[in-house]
Amino acid sequence: MAFQSRKKFCYFKENGITDIDYKDVKLLRRFVNDQGKIMPRRITGSSAKMHRKLVRAIKRSRSIALMPYVDLGSE
Amino acid sequence: MRYYETLYIVNPNLENEALDITMGEIGTELEKSKSKIINHRVWGKKRLAYQIENQKYGSFILLQFEGGEQDQMNEFNTWMKLNNSVLRHMIVALDEKPEVYVELVKEKSVEKEAPKGTVEETPANEAVVETTSEETETQPDVIEEESTKETETTEDVTDESSEADTEEKEAE
Repeated sequence: MAFQSRKKFCYFKENGITDIDYKDVKLLRRFVNDQGKIMPRRITGSSAKMHRKLVRAIKRSRSIALMPYVDLGSE
Repeated sequence: MRYYETLYIVNPNLENEALDITMGEIGTELEKSKSKIINHRVWGKKRLAYQIENQKYGSFILLQFEGGEQDQMNEFNTWMKLNNSVLRHMIVALDEKPEVYVELVKEKSVEKEAPKGTVEETPANEAVVETTSEETETQPDVIEEESTKETETTEDVTDESSEADTEEKEAE
């Protein structure tokens, strides 16, 4: 499994999503790692256009406390 | 005119009446800028991703409106910052005209209650209509609840199968 190359695809193009809402936390959680960092495009495989929109949405939802700036996993 | 959306967090300790009053104040303050309010609804009480003013929870309120005069709207922004009952707020420009939400939300809540609450009348009637259309009329009224459960289980099975297909595709 480790040596098989899995083809990456843009999640948004695949599902026909054109706009990303910052209130859709369930979707945005997919593109953030355990620490709450935004995952790079080379890992998620999302297109440049959608990645820009994604980043904007995640940063917005951070500022309104829907998503964490830093997720330490405690509490 | 542009359309805007404001999501703001209010102290969760405010009760229903106090919450309505603060929402009313915010609405009147916004209407000073001659902007038209389209939606103003409570989104729900949620856990905050990080503490704000030592609060772990906050009630989120969504306000969508058509923009009015620019200067007045800037004043509204500063007024919101100074408002003590608002923990945090954010105004965002929308690309399209937002739809009016209220009725859709109510329908969804009824659908969620329908499988759980057997005592209520209106959801039970809806369930009857669904079952008669899907299944034959041989079964008496008593077994309605069971039939609804059966339909739910079949739906679940279909969902799982579709998920399994996607997983297989990913594996390939």
